[in-house]
Amino acid sequence: MITNTKCECGHQNRVGTVLCEACGKPLGEHANSTELLEMRYDGAARRSQRANPNFIDKIWNFFSSVKVAIYLIIITLIGASLGTIFEQESNFINFDPSTFYKEKYGTIGAIYYKLGLSHTYESWWFVLLLVMIGASLVICSLDRVLPLYKALSKQKVRKHLQFLTRQKVVYQGPVEGDGASWTERAVKPLKKKGYRVHTDGDALLAEKQRFSRWGPYVIHIGLIIFLLAVLFRGLPGLNIDEHYWFPEGEITKIPDSNLYLKNEKFTVEYYSEEEMSAEFRETGKIVPKLFETKAVLYECTADCDDPSKEPVLQEVERHDIRVNDPLNYKGFKAYQFDFDLTPKLRSVTPALVNVKTGEQYGKFRLDMTNPQQQFTLGPYTLELKNKFMDFSLNEQGQPVSKSKDPNAPAFLFLIKGPDLPAEGSQYIYFPKQVDKERFQQDAINDKLGGVQNTLSLDVLAMEDVDFIASSSYLNIRVDRVMPFIWLGLGIVMLGLIMGFYWHHRRIWLRIDDGILTLGGHTAKNWFGLRREVASFLKTMGIEVDEKQLDNGGNRS
Amino acid sequence: MGKARRPVQIIILFIIVILGGYAVSAAVSGGGSGKPAVGDKPPAIKLLGLDGSVHTLEEYKGKAVVINFWATWCTYCVSEMPALQAQWQKWRDQGVVVLGINTGEDEMTVRNFTEQLGVDFPVLYDSDNEAVQSYGVVPMPTTFFVDPKGKIASIHEGELNLATLNDQIRQLLSP
Amino acid sequence: MNFLEISRQAFVIAFYFYCLSFIFYVVAVTGKTWRNRDPKRHERKWGTISFATSSLGLLSHLVYCGTRWAYSGHIPVSNMYEFMSFLSMMIMVAFTVVFLIYRKILLGVFALPIAIIIMAYAAVFPQEVQPLIPSLRSIWLYIHVTLAATGESFFAVGFAAGLMYLLRSIDFGANDKQARRQKWWVEFTLFSIIIVVGFIVSVFTFRAAGYEAVFVQNATNIDTKLEQDSTIEQEVYNLPPIVAPHDSKAVEVQPFLGMDRPWFEAPVWMKGAHAGRQLNTVLWSVLFGAVIYLLLRLILRRPLGALLAPALRSIDPDDLDEISYRAIAIGFPIFTLGALVFAMIWAQQAWGRFWGWDPKEVWALITWLYYSAYLHLRLSRGFQGRKASWLAVLGFVVVMFTLVGVNLIIAGLHSYAGTD
Repeated sequence: MITNTKCECGHQNRVGTVLCEACGKPLGEHANSTELLEMRYDGAARRSQRANPNFIDKIWNFFSSVKVAIYLIIITLIGASLGTIFEQESNFINFDPSTFYKEKYGTIGAIYYKLGLSHTYESWWFVLLLVMIGASLVICSLDRVLPLYKALSKQKVRKHLQFLTRQKVVYQGPVEGDGASWTERAVKPLKKKGYRVHTDGDALLAEKQRFSRWGPYVIHIGLIIFLLAVLFRGLPGLNIDEHYWFPEGEITKIPDSNLYLKNEKFTVEYYSEEEMSAEFRETGKIVPKLFETKAVLYECTADCDDPSKEPVLQEVERHDIRVNDPLNYKGFKAYQFDFDLTPKLRSVTPALVNVKTGEQYGKFRLDMTNPQQQFTLGPYTLELKNKFMDFSLNEQGQPVSKSKDPNAPAFLFLIKGPDLPAEGSQYIYFPKQVDKERFQQDAINDKLGGVQNTLSLDVLAMEDVDFIASSSYLNIRVDRVMPFIWLGLGIVMLGLIMGFYWHHRRIWLRIDDGILTLGGHTAKNWFGLRREVASFLKTMGIEVDEKQLDNGGNRS
Repeated sequence: MGKARRPVQIIILFIIVILGGYAVSAAVSGGGSGKPAVGDKPPAIKLLGLDGSVHTLEEYKGKAVVINFWATWCTYCVSEMPALQAQWQKWRDQGVVVLGINTGEDEMTVRNFTEQLGVDFPVLYDSDNEAVQSYGVVPMPTTFFVDPKGKIASIHEGELNLATLNDQIRQLLSP
Repeated sequence: MNFLEISRQAFVIAFYFYCLSFIFYVVAVTGKTWRNRDPKRHERKWGTISFATSSLGLLSHLVYCGTRWAYSGHIPVSNMYEFMSFLSMMIMVAFTVVFLIYRKILLGVFALPIAIIIMAYAAVFPQEVQPLIPSLRSIWLYIHVTLAATGESFFAVGFAAGLMYLLRSIDFGANDKQARRQKWWVEFTLFSIIIVVGFIVSVFTFRAAGYEAVFVQNATNIDTKLEQDSTIEQEVYNLPPIVAPHDSKAVEVQPFLGMDRPWFEAPVWMKGAHAGRQLNTVLWSVLFGAVIYLLLRLILRRPLGALLAPALRSIDPDDLDEISYRAIAIGFPIFTLGALVFAMIWAQQAWGRFWGWDPKEVWALITWLYYSAYLHLRLSRGFQGRKASWLAVLGFVVVMFTLVGVNLIIAGLHSYAGTD
C-alpha cells in the first residue's frame, strides 16, 4: 500500500512520518484529531519504518522497538532476581554443587540446581538476554538518533497552526500592533532566559538546551562500550584472577608471569579498647582494624625461564597491601584476601651435645626445605640421609610423610666420629619436643644404633627456632579492559546528567491577524516550561496563570 | 534515501550475531576454566629434572607421554609408582615416555624416594607448583595420557593399577 | 557532654520536629476548609510554619549526623541504625529539594511519614558506635553509601507523590470492578505502611517491658571473606518467640500471655544473620499492624484511602504525576552513580572485581533496571498517570527490599550492614 506522505506545504515526507518534516502539520491518521501531538523524535519517521519490510527489516524492527527493549529489561530483571534465591556456585571455591543444594535446601535446592539457577549469571539464557539488550541498545539508538538529528537541525521557524495548538503548552490571545514588531520585541526577553531565538517575519522559534536530547543516546553508547568491555574481558590474557599463599619472609613466584612477590611482614591489628565507644566495649566484641601485607614485588631480569638457575630479581614495586589498598604495578594487582596465622617451622639450629660430658660441638642450621646435607661439628660429621616433614609410620611400619607441611618434621642423619662405628651410625632427630615424645625418638634411635647414649641434638635457645609466623593469601589480578569499563560508565554518567538535569525547551509563536498563537514543548519538566512561558508573557504584558497554559490530556 | 542503509543494517546485525554468538558460546563452555580437557594440547612445561637438566614437552614430540603428578607424602602415588616403573620398562622402546612431575618437594626427598623405589623414568621438579596450576591438578595422583599427536587422550584421577595403565598406554599407541 | 551525647539528643529532637511538622502539614492542608478562614492565607501561613518546622528537624538531623561523625571518626552509615537514620535524613533532603521546586504543601503530608517511619525503624537497631572493619575503611564508603541513599530518597519522594496521585485520581465512590481493584490495592499499600508502624510499635512495646527470650543455635558460618564471622550461638529475642531460630534450643523464655515456648521453627532457607529472630519480628509486626489497622477502621468506619482522598481534592493530579516522575528522574542519575558506578569502583578496589553478582549488587542492578524500565515506559502514552504511579509505588518496594530484605533473607558480602 502506498500512502500519500506529501504535505500540503509541498514537502515530501518519508513513510512513518507523523508530523511534516518541514511545517510540522500532523499527517495521516493524526491529521484530523484535536488530541495532543505525538512529539517523540519530533514526529520524524524512524529509520526502520518502511513501506514493505523484508526479513532483515523485521529483525531490525524487532530490536528497534522500545516495547521489546522494555520486555527485555523486565525479563532480565526477573532472571537476575532468580539468581539471588540461593547462593551462587561462583561464591564458593571448594564444594560440590551437585550435592550441596540438595543437602542444604532439600528438593527445592535440587530443582534449583537442575534448572541451572545455581549459576544464573553464567547461563546461556542470561548471557543471551544481555546480548539482546546490547543489540536493542545499538539498533534503537541508530534508528532514532539520525532522524531526530535531522529533524532538529533543519527546523523551520514558521510551523503549521495545528502544530502549535496541539502542543501541550499553548496560549492564544490578541496582541496589539504589528505582528512582526511584536515578534521582534519578544526576542530580547527570550534571549535573556537563555533561548536561541530565530524569527521569520511574525513567526518565532526559541530553543534552548537541545543537547539534552542526546543524553539518552550518550547513555546507550556508554552502556554498549561497557558491555563490549565485559565481553572482551573473557579473551585469554586480558584477565587473570588467581589466589596464592605468600608465607611471611619468603619470595614466592607468581605463576604465568615473571614476577615474584615477597611478603616481608603480615600484620593483623585489632581495635584497642580506647578506640571503641563505651557501649561497644561492653559487648566484648573484638573487631579487626587492619590486615596488611608489606609486599615487595620483583621482576625477573635474567635466567627467568631456566629452572636450573636461580633467577635474577630486581625490585620494581614496594607496597603495603591492605584491604581497599591493593598493590598495583602496571595493571598487575595484588589484593589482601585472607591470611593464616598458624606458624610454620622454617628452620631449627640445634647443637650437637655430648650426653655424657655435656660438651657442645657447635650449632648448625637445618632448613625445612632444601637443607644442607653435610655438617661437620667438632670431631663429628653429620650426613643428612632423609627427612620427613610430617612424620608418620605406614602400615608396614616404614617412615613416611603425610604431607609436605612441616607439621611433624623428622631428620635422619648418618653420624660418624669418635666412639661410633667406622661406617657411621644412624640417628633420627625430631626438632619438636612433642614429636620427640609422641614418636619416641630415643626408642627409635636405640634400635638404629644407640647413638642417643653418646650424642644428642638439642635446640638450646628460643632464637634457634625460626618460624614463618603467618601466611598471607593474596588475590592476584590482571584486568586489561578496566579502562574501557570505566570509560563506558563515565559516558553513561555524562549522558544521564545531560538527559536528566537539562531539558530541551522550545517555544514557537506566530501572529495571525493580531492573534498570538504560542506553543511550547519540552521532553521533561512541563512545570518549569509553563513557569518560563508565563514569565515570558508577563514581560510582554500578558498576564496568564501558569496552570491555564496547560493544554490538558496526557503528556508525552 | 534508503539505499545505502541496507548494507549498514546487514553489517550491524552481522556484528551483533558474531559477538553475541561468542558471548553465549563462552558462557556455555564455562568460559574456559583454564583446565586442560581431553582433546586439548597439554600445557607447556619447562621444569628442572632430577638429572639436573631442564626438560620441556617438546623433547617428547611424536611420542606418547604419560604425565603423572605425584608426591612422596601421597600414599596412592607411592603405591602406583611400581606400576608406572614397570610400564616404563615395558613400553619405553616403543616410543612411550613416562614423566613423573613431583609437586613442590625438595631434591633430597625426591632423590631418596626414587632411589629407594628404583624409579628411573624422568622425574621433574615442579617447585613453584606451576605445572600443577596450569594442568589444574586437584587430587593426587593425577595422570594425563598424551597421544603421539600431542593431544590429551585421557585424564585419570586417583591410583592406577598395572592393568589399567597397560590398557591406557596400548590405546595411546593404537589410534 | 560529648559528641555522642549531642548526636543522641539531636536525633530525638529531629524526630519530634518531624512529627510536629507532619501535624502542621496536615493542619495546613485540611485547615483550608475550616470555617472563617481565608484558604489562601491559611495555606501560606501554615505552609511556612510547617516547612520551617520540618527544616528545623532536618537541621537537627544534620547535627546528629555531624556530631556522630565527629565522635566515631567515620561517616555514620556503617550499620543498619546509622544507614536508616541517614536514609531518612536524605529523604527529608529530597523532600526539601522537591518542595522548593514545586511548593506543594501536600507533599509534606506524605513525605514526612515516610521519613518518620524510617527514622523510627532505625531506632530499632543497636545504636552503639561500632569500629569499622578493614573492608569498610575506605573513602568509597562515604561516597557510595551516601549517594545511593540520596538516589533512593528521591525514589521515596516519587513513591509518596505516586501514592498521592492514586489517592487523588481513584474514584472512591465508584463500585465497578476496575475501581474496586484499584481501591483494594491502595488500601493494601496503606496497610503495608501500617505494618511497618506495627513493627516499630511492637519492638518498642516489648523493649519498654524488658522482654527477653534466649535460644542456643548451632551456628553455621560460611566464611568466604576476611570478615571474621563471630559465631553467635546464643540468640536473644526481645519479642515473644512465635518462631524459634532454625535448629535451636530454648534456654530461657519469659512467658507472655501464657505463651512460654515458640510455636514453630524458622525454615532452613532463611539464612541471613538472625533469620529466625527476624522472621519472628515480621510476624509480630504483621500482628501489631493488623491490630492497629483494624482499630483505625473501627474508629473511622471507612477505608483509609477513602479518608485520605478528600484532602487531595484541591490538587491537580497532573502535578502529582509530574512530581513523581521528576523526583525519579532526579534520583535516577544519583542512584546510578552511587549504587552502581561508585559501588563498582569500590568493589574493584576492595575485592579486586567490579562486579561479583553478590545479592546486594544484583538487587541494586534490579532496582536500576526497574527504574530504567519505568523511564522507558513513560515514553509511551499509556504509562502516565495511574499506571506510572503504580510503578513508582512498586519501585519503592523494590528499593526497600534491596535495602532491608536482602539483608533479612539473603546472606552475602554486604551482610555486615544489617544486625537485628
